[in-house]
Amino acid sequence: MQDKSLKLSRRSFLRGSALTAGALSLGLLDFQSWAKSNAAAPVRRIPTICNGCGNRCSLFAYVKNGRIWRIEGNREANGNQGVVCPKGHGYLHDLYNPNRIRSPLKRVEGKFQPISWEQAYKEIAQKINIILMENGPESVFWVNYPQPNHAYALRFMHSLGSPHYFTHGSTCYTARNAAWNFTVGKLPSNDLANSRFIMTIGRNPAGGIDLGQVRDIVKAKERGAKIIVVDPRHNETAILADEWLPIKPGTDLAFLLAMINVMVGETLYDKEFVANNTVGFQQLEDEIINYPPQWAEKICDIPAETITRVTREIARAKPYALIHRGYHGAIGAQYLNSFQTARALAIANSLLGNINRKGGIYFPESAELGELQPTHPAPAGPAGPKADGTGIPGRYPLGSYGDGISHAIPELALRGVLKCGFVYHHNPLRTNPNPQRVIAGYRKLELLVVIDPVLSETASIAHYVLPASFYLEADEAVDTKHYGKRAQVSIQRKVIAPLFDSRSGFQIIGDLAKHLGIGKYFNFTLDEANELRLKPLGVALKDLKAKGILPVGEAWKEGFGKLETPSGKVEIASSTLERLGYPAIPRWEAPLVSPDDKDPHSFRLIHGKQAIHTHAMTANQPYLMAISRRYDMIRLLINRKRAEKIGLKDGDVVKIKSLVGEGEIRVKLTEGLHPSCVWLPSGYGIFSKHLTTAYDQGLSYNDFLPTLFDPTVGHAMSSEVIVQVKKA
Amino acid sequence: MARYGMVIDETKCVGCYACRVACQNQNHLRENEAYNYLEEREYGQFPNFNREFLPLQCQHCDNPPCVAVCPTGASQKRKDGVVLVNEKDCIGCKYCIAACPYHVRIIKKEGYIEKCRFCIEFVEEGGKPACMTTCMTGVRLFGDLDDPNSDISQFVAKNRHRLRVYKRELNTKPRIFYRKA
Repeated sequence: MQDKSLKLSRRSFLRGSALTAGALSLGLLDFQSWAKSNAAAPVRRIPTICNGCGNRCSLFAYVKNGRIWRIEGNREANGNQGVVCPKGHGYLHDLYNPNRIRSPLKRVEGKFQPISWEQAYKEIAQKINIILMENGPESVFWVNYPQPNHAYALRFMHSLGSPHYFTHGSTCYTARNAAWNFTVGKLPSNDLANSRFIMTIGRNPAGGIDLGQVRDIVKAKERGAKIIVVDPRHNETAILADEWLPIKPGTDLAFLLAMINVMVGETLYDKEFVANNTVGFQQLEDEIINYPPQWAEKICDIPAETITRVTREIARAKPYALIHRGYHGAIGAQYLNSFQTARALAIANSLLGNINRKGGIYFPESAELGELQPTHPAPAGPAGPKADGTGIPGRYPLGSYGDGISHAIPELALRGVLKCGFVYHHNPLRTNPNPQRVIAGYRKLELLVVIDPVLSETASIAHYVLPASFYLEADEAVDTKHYGKRAQVSIQRKVIAPLFDSRSGFQIIGDLAKHLGIGKYFNFTLDEANELRLKPLGVALKDLKAKGILPVGEAWKEGFGKLETPSGKVEIASSTLERLGYPAIPRWEAPLVSPDDKDPHSFRLIHGKQAIHTHAMTANQPYLMAISRRYDMIRLLINRKRAEKIGLKDGDVVKIKSLVGEGEIRVKLTEGLHPSCVWLPSGYGIFSKHLTTAYDQGLSYNDFLPTLFDPTVGHAMSSEVIVQVKKA
Repeated sequence: MARYGMVIDETKCVGCYACRVACQNQNHLRENEAYNYLEEREYGQFPNFNREFLPLQCQHCDNPPCVAVCPTGASQKRKDGVVLVNEKDCIGCKYCIAACPYHVRIIKKEGYIEKCRFCIEFVEEGGKPACMTTCMTGVRLFGDLDDPNSDISQFVAKNRHRLRVYKRELNTKPRIFYRKA
């Protein structure tokens, strides 16, 4: 790549840490040579779940002579419906990645030294005990991208007495979840397969892959459903759609308010549903009159007649019509108005009368695992609130206490509130906004322990790195990720013996607990815990291990019952929000920042997923990175006309600059992007030198993002950034 | 005798490359060796824009130019229609690469030429090609064109007027049929 000239000072911090995992000989046969020598070897087929992203698809792994050969999808799984995405196929090769850590590591004078597990645990425990005595348990945190064992991580933190368990949520989905919670009581799913009209807004299941959703969209399409994609970029789902509406980024709220305006103004909504099952419609009528399509057109760049037409079309198909419940894009953690946008999206769906209806938005059946108690009593739990302010009036009252605000960790560390942290299956130095600030915060910690199979950016600055087993090497906690029309439980299984001195996440959590004197809360084996948790579901562990995934409980039934909201109904107007000082009905709220119309170099920087990469985790995977390179995908997308105005040709190198960062990257000119923005694929910009395939390839949007907290849920507002784009 | 063929639905490919990596695993390929390719095409001007991906692989021609030019007989067409390279006979002269109008052949690190094999060994054991079974949108159908009850035969019967072969004018008679929008 030509973006070698990238010079960010954050890089220098890695100098001096001289462990070169690549230099150690793996002694593994090349895939092809191995295949030749094992052509006739017997094949074992073992069910497990994937860990190539957060969907945890159900798989069969094929093993020949102790080596992974291939995987295929489990057809019983409602999550992935028998298929596997490119990341799933590619990521399994990370098992054999020469960058893997072979033993626990301790950083001594900037260099990592291998140490034994026992010594690592002893030293970590000793240091934590001092921190606990001096600062109390609240000064310790755990942050992870949730794994099947996340309940045990939470148990571990509660056993210590700390409230500071975090997920990546504040950089991902917390605005969406909060809005759905306040409107219908919980996060629903989409019955795409039975829908006759599907609209996605800022959601791209074919790029940020959700296999089951894509299969369902294809099924709906084959039955004649109309599909409309609203996105500043012609995304992968748009390829399957009937229509692409290239909205100006940050203005999805205006589009939705205008849709609601048409539904109300032309009485296109489901009158019976609204009368029986919602509260606050009258308030909506009073407010929504302010937002006709002619008003929205000027803000969101979608013609008024188009807004009116698609609203009539979607209403005609109701209740077998839906606006996708959304994820990260537009409503998850992107804009100042994301929470209100998600509220408007939930309300628009409710007006279609599609809540818990076939072909609409529905509450999926999800397996409720059993408890370990009374056999194994649970810890009392923390006494105080989270220091990030989630759930606290006056701070982030709508914030998710369960997720916490994980990108506030560096701030809390700099303020001395957090002193010690565990980072598991997560890489905040690369996936949080404003890396220099994140590095400063994590470096301030008196003790940082990272649990990871490789030396990620975050692991590179840790005091101790504990090598987590690769997902194919370890049994794990039972999982409930496959929800849908019928709940399913699944399980990650040890497919081959660990290649190195690594341990499963479950085991590491238990080991740490034992060394920290809270072992009494972890007095069980994995099998015992799994059996206890499966018990109320009537599933035997050995059956689950044999099948990989099993259905539990009753099948979903259509029908509207009492919701988990204060009124028990859909809260079009929310008295809770009003009481907390937020508008009861969504109102137009402009994005925090907007590009300067008069400056030809000023763009909003937006980002999204390519189908071949997950977060910052797969860029080091040679099979996936080979695709990025072969198809020249590590480029910044820019609208052709805008690019030509500033003298750019396809493939030119540009300099991007924001308030907090700058970098260089090649551009791809396209007609498939709104002119007000540039689009950067996420997943690149790895700056850990220990990740030899990914290192210094492309940029991450986080390089340009200031540290922001939206005033409702405290999310990262990760598209509220204006950049200058100039020819380098 | 089976007569194998494939249908590729051009309207369904979203360009995720799962076929490429599934195939690489199935066939033990290195990361830079692939039998599946995608050609992205863009149409129109903002905001009236569309794009599509054209999946390409060995077309298993009935009249294969690679077989005609191969000096050693390494490139062969089997009775069931599958075009294969016998690596033992391949001298790596690359005539077939020059002759193939679809540009889907690669030079293996070992020096011989390879390309999509319709996963034939796996198919003979009752499997289906990896590119087909992994696809989330169901771009491909594979099967016996001589069996009137096979999925592919039924699909061809129903969609005959919308199927085309790639570079028909070259008279290579591909066994991969593309369904157009």
